[in-house]
Formats: sequence, C-alpha cells, structure tokens
Amino acid sequence: MSLNIAVIIKLEPDFSDGNVSYNPDGTLNRAETKTILGHHSAIAAQAAFYAKVKYGARICIGTMGPPMAELALNQSLLLSDAEELHLYSDRSFAGADTLSTAEVLKTGISKMKDGKPMDIVFSGFRASDGETGQTGPQTAWKLGYTFLGNVISYELDIEKRVITALRLISYGNYNLIEQVQAPLPVFIAIDPSYKSPFVTVSQRLSASRYHKEAVTRSSNYKSYLKVFNAKELGVDPKLVGLPGSPTIVYKVEKIPKIKSNRSAQTIENIDPDGISNILEKIHETIT
Amino acid sequence: MSVNKMSENITKPVDQTAALTKQKEKVEVEDMVDNINKKTETNKYRNLYVIIEQVDGTIIPVGLEMLSEARRLMNDFNKKYSLNEKVIAVILGNGIKHLCEELIYYGADAVIYADDTKLNYHINKIYTKVIAQIATDLKCIEKISPEYSKEFKRPRYMFFAADSTGRHLSSTVLAELESGLASDINKLVVEDIDFRHEHKTKGQMLTFEKTLMMYRPDFSGFLWTTILCLDNKNPEIKRDYHPQACSIIPGVFEPLEKDVSRTGIIEEYIPEFDTKDLDIKVLSRNVLKDMIDFNSYKTIISFGRGIKESPEENIKLIEKLAKLLNAEIGISLPISKKPFKLSDKMNSLYITPERVIGTSGQKVEPTIYIALGISGASQHLAGMKNSGFIIAVNPDENAPIRNECDVFIKGRIEDVLPIMIEELEREKINQTKEGASAVVGTV
Repeated sequence: MSLNIAVIIKLEPDFSDGNVSYNPDGTLNRAETKTILGHHSAIAAQAAFYAKVKYGARICIGTMGPPMAELALNQSLLLSDAEELHLYSDRSFAGADTLSTAEVLKTGISKMKDGKPMDIVFSGFRASDGETGQTGPQTAWKLGYTFLGNVISYELDIEKRVITALRLISYGNYNLIEQVQAPLPVFIAIDPSYKSPFVTVSQRLSASRYHKEAVTRSSNYKSYLKVFNAKELGVDPKLVGLPGSPTIVYKVEKIPKIKSNRSAQTIENIDPDGISNILEKIHETIT
Repeated sequence: MSVNKMSENITKPVDQTAALTKQKEKVEVEDMVDNINKKTETNKYRNLYVIIEQVDGTIIPVGLEMLSEARRLMNDFNKKYSLNEKVIAVILGNGIKHLCEELIYYGADAVIYADDTKLNYHINKIYTKVIAQIATDLKCIEKISPEYSKEFKRPRYMFFAADSTGRHLSSTVLAELESGLASDINKLVVEDIDFRHEHKTKGQMLTFEKTLMMYRPDFSGFLWTTILCLDNKNPEIKRDYHPQACSIIPGVFEPLEKDVSRTGIIEEYIPEFDTKDLDIKVLSRNVLKDMIDFNSYKTIISFGRGIKESPEENIKLIEKLAKLLNAEIGISLPISKKPFKLSDKMNSLYITPERVIGTSGQKVEPTIYIALGISGASQHLAGMKNSGFIIAVNPDENAPIRNECDVFIKGRIEDVLPIMIEELEREKINQTKEGASAVVGTV
C-alpha cells in the first residue's frame, strides 16, 4: 500500500541575524522582519521526507496563512519533494487562535489527495513566534488521530499499519526516552532534535534522487499548489477566525522591570588590571 | 439589533426576559441579556481543576506549584464573590492513590483520581478522554461541591503544566471540551471586565464576570500578553467557552509549605476506556542522565545575542573561559532560535533548549553567574537573579542586566574575554609553579 503523509507548516518571522529586526525596547519589529518557513516546520517536512525515502510515501503540505505563505510551502517542497501543496487563505481566518486554526487545518487535511485519509500527519514542535505548541495536538484531536508529541525518531510496519516512535519527554532536569507503538493513523509533532537517519547506500541514493526531483518541482511549484478560501474549504464561518476563537489577546504591555536588589559596579576601561580585580572577586566568592 | 432578532438566537430564559422588556430602551435590554448570561454562566461553571502529572509515582514539581497559585487565586475569588468554589486536583496513574493526600497537604480542597493499570503511562489519547470525563462528571461534584452540583456542567477554570506532556494534554483536553487555552502563563488574576469586541459582543460594551486574566511573557521576554477565554455573547455566534484554561510555566510559582493538618475530599473516578485506544502501547522507558546539569557547577557562563559579530569565534572564547573557571555554559532564549550561522558542532553542543536559562528554560542559582552579551529580558533575569555574584559583559550600559548584576563590564565579548582568559592562564601557570591547587572547582 502506498503511504499518505500530510505536513502542516507555518510561515514565521525569520529570527536569523540580518533578517530579524527588534524595536529599541527589545520587542520584535514585525514590519521590518522578514518571513520564512518556520524552523520547526522545516524539521516536520524533513521527517515526512524520511517516510518518502524509506517507505515510498506521497506527501501533501498544508498551511493556513496569507497569500505569501506559498513561499513557505515551496521551501518545504524543496525539503520533502511533496506532490501537493495546500494554502488555506481567507481574510476571515485572520486573528484565529489555536482552536480555530486547528479547525481550518483539520478541514484542509481532509481534502488532501482528493479526500483520501492521511496515514500520518506531521507538524513542528511549535511556531517560533506563537510558541504555544497547541495547534498540532488540537488538529490531531479534531481529526481523531492518535497524537504523539516530541518524536525524535520513528519506524513503520507498513503491513501491520503500525508506527513505533521514540519520544523525548522532559520535566526540567528529569528526561525520559519513551518507545511507543500505535496503530496508524497518527499525528506526530516532531521534536527539534529529530534527524533523518539515511543509513544505507540505497536510501542515500534515493534521497538524492528525490531531492533532484524536488528542485524541478520547486521551480514550477505553482502547478502543485491549490489555494482554498473559506468557502472552497467548506468550513463553518462560526468555527474559524475570530468568531471561532475562544481566546483573545486582551492587552499587550511591557513586562515591568524586576525590582533590582543589586547595584552594579561599572567597569569601562577594559584593561588587564581591571579584569584582574574581577577575577580576584570571583576567586574570593567561590572559596 | 432588534429585540426579536436577539431573542431568536439566545437561550430560552433570555428569550422570555427579552419578550418582557420589549417596551424598554435598547440599552436596558442589553444589560438584562448580559445579566442573564452572567447568571447562567455562574451556575454551570464551578471550581478550579488542576491537572497534576506524576511519573512512576512521583508528582512532577510544577503540580504543587500550580496548586499553590490555585489556592491563592481561589481564596481571593471566594472572598471577593462570597462563594465557596474549590481547588480540585486531578491525578491519573497506576497505584497513585497514596499521592492524593499529598495534594491536599499542598493546597487542594479535593482530589479526583483515577487509578488503573491502563493509566500506568501518560498516553495522550487515553489521558485526554479520562480528564474530559472527569471534567464533566457530576458524581464527584455532588460529593465535593453539593451546593453547586445540580447545574454543574464544567470546570470554571483549568490549570495544566506547560511541560512536554502537559502542554499537549492541555491542547487535546481543550479541543475535546471545545474551549480556550492560553499557554506558558506566569501570572493570573481574576477580574470582572467591561469589554467591547467586534465578534464576542457584536460591538456592545458588556461585562464578563470572573474572567481569568492569563499573562503570558512573549518570546522576546519583554512583552506580557494578557489572554482571555471569553464566551461569545454575540447572539449570532452565541457560544459558551468554559473552562477558561491555561498551561503554567514550571518554576514560576512557589509551592506552599506542606501542611499535614489540612483535610479535604478524595474521590475516586472509575474511567471508561475505548478498547481501540488500548492498542497504543508504551514499549519501554529510559531515564536519560541529564546532559546539562547546572546544579553541579559553582559557576555558570551564559551568552546571548551579543556574540553576533563573530559568533563562532566568540563561542570558542566562551568555551575557553568556561574551561578555566570550571563552568557550565548556558544560553539566552533568543539564542535558542539559532539566529546566527554556526558550525554543526557548535549548534549541536550549545544551541539547544536544555541550555536555556530563564523562565522558558532552567532556573539557576550558581555562586558565580557570568552573563555575556545578554541584555536581560525579565524572563532571563527570573532564571538567574538569585545567583551569588553576577558579572555582566555588555557594550550597552542601558541594558536591563545592569540593574541585576554586581559588576557590569561595559564592553564586547571579543574585547573582554581574551584579557580574562589571558589573566586566568597566567594565574594557572603561577599556581602550578607554586604547587598550589586551583581554587575553583565543582561542588
């Protein structure tokens, strides 16, 4: 059987130096900051690519966002050699919280490959701007899929339709690696530490062949792209965008400075004597 | 908006009330509708549920931290509104009954637990369904809050931990309950607010009673966003959104002192399982030895965006300094977003979430803390301000870190560190000559 894989991604601010812009008060200057395929979304696309190389999967990538988010779709096509790209874009989706975003994504995923059910859906760990990490699991729940979070590697038994995954679970200083097995379909939020292990020569050759194919597809990505507005998607207007969002941002304020308990000695002349004095203090404090 | 149109779309008692007030001014009608809304809201939604996680019979510390904050919040709440709503801890697992009393000692009024071999491991799908069952269960509420049990529908508020499992659990539970969730909260307040919103109130100024104000520090650490979960009172999209839920950052709130004289109600819930969910199996579990153990170092050196001019070279300097001072290396949150091009080695060694110091990472209290090129967002300061002696290196003397350090060296990493390293190396040579042992060391 062939494997159907979906990936949900996000167009996010590019936090790399030279592309990110901060206001003088330290907050992100969104207008001046460039956008890019989210870092964690890219890892999700790579995790889907692993299934393509190893098990021969067909990949469809979906995103909810403004028209320019198609650039993120193209970037993720390059990473995964996807066959189909979906952009869910409508002014009425603006202001969506995670629950109403999940509603759009769930509906979009159900339209992938002409409505064939997906076997695995991948998402990133979290978006670098919203950082909630909620959209993935909420989409999973709406789809009725088993959710596996923090997945660092996975293998499939295609015959039995079973996935075995390793998850990295962290409670501060207490970390666990858990091996979990679940029947397909599943929804995977991939851990930032995920790396595709292409171990055999044939896997590497196959990966390189798919990458070449991806480059060709990417140069003509629009022919793989389907854009859906709210009506085309068939979502209930009450369940998406602001009307479908239980939560709202009520106010944004600067975090008040922590009341200082210290008064710093300031050293402006950086010379060996000055530094030596500080090192002296370090030694005194530590002993 | 006409009175008729409004009454078509809202609940029956509102319908009747609206019919009675046909002659009155529009404004009064809206007031009335709002009052009815408030009344129904108050009857159906009660109590604060705190979802406690445990691993192998040990409570994850954030659970007790949440109980402490829940206790404070509901004490204020009950006083302010003359009510008697409870802090209810919910815990699932296998052989965890003995933990229930602990939860009472740490601030819960009541505990609802489910103890079953099928709950031995935290499996998201199974846990989500059981928690959603508990959240809407009436039998336990009859025992815990008999005065409110008749009309009880759902919790008023819910707390989850913002950790690897709690974050996902909160998402799926709230997707199941179809209500709102804010993540990574570090401050909570309950208020009655007057609020106007295009969708929620159809542009009318309406009062939302007992609203949980959920404060969330953003990724920069400089902004606080207040997130609210509000019912849609707009008749066209009328919908209740309860519980108002959030996930709470571990390490933010101090747990209460354990008080064994505290008493409370402990209720067992017998869950129903879907047989097909039982095919999800945990095959093995291994505890990882912590790779970054800040606690065993007397000195921690962390770096932030100030490495920017020559990131790779600066990190090499930091490595050197850390070696000389026998220090562990930490990073600021913005660095974890990989803003700079670095070699794979540097990226995998240092640019990892477990090295982040601050409320989004680890809280540390070393004897010496050296902050290099870190401006000092409050979320970072909260993670290191209890250190013994703090040195900051930063070219910007207006950087907030200056208010939270003992020595502020105004300069760039690349200018300051070489001198420090040279001095330390010289000391080392001298000490070796004198045969003295190094004065710095691990705990």
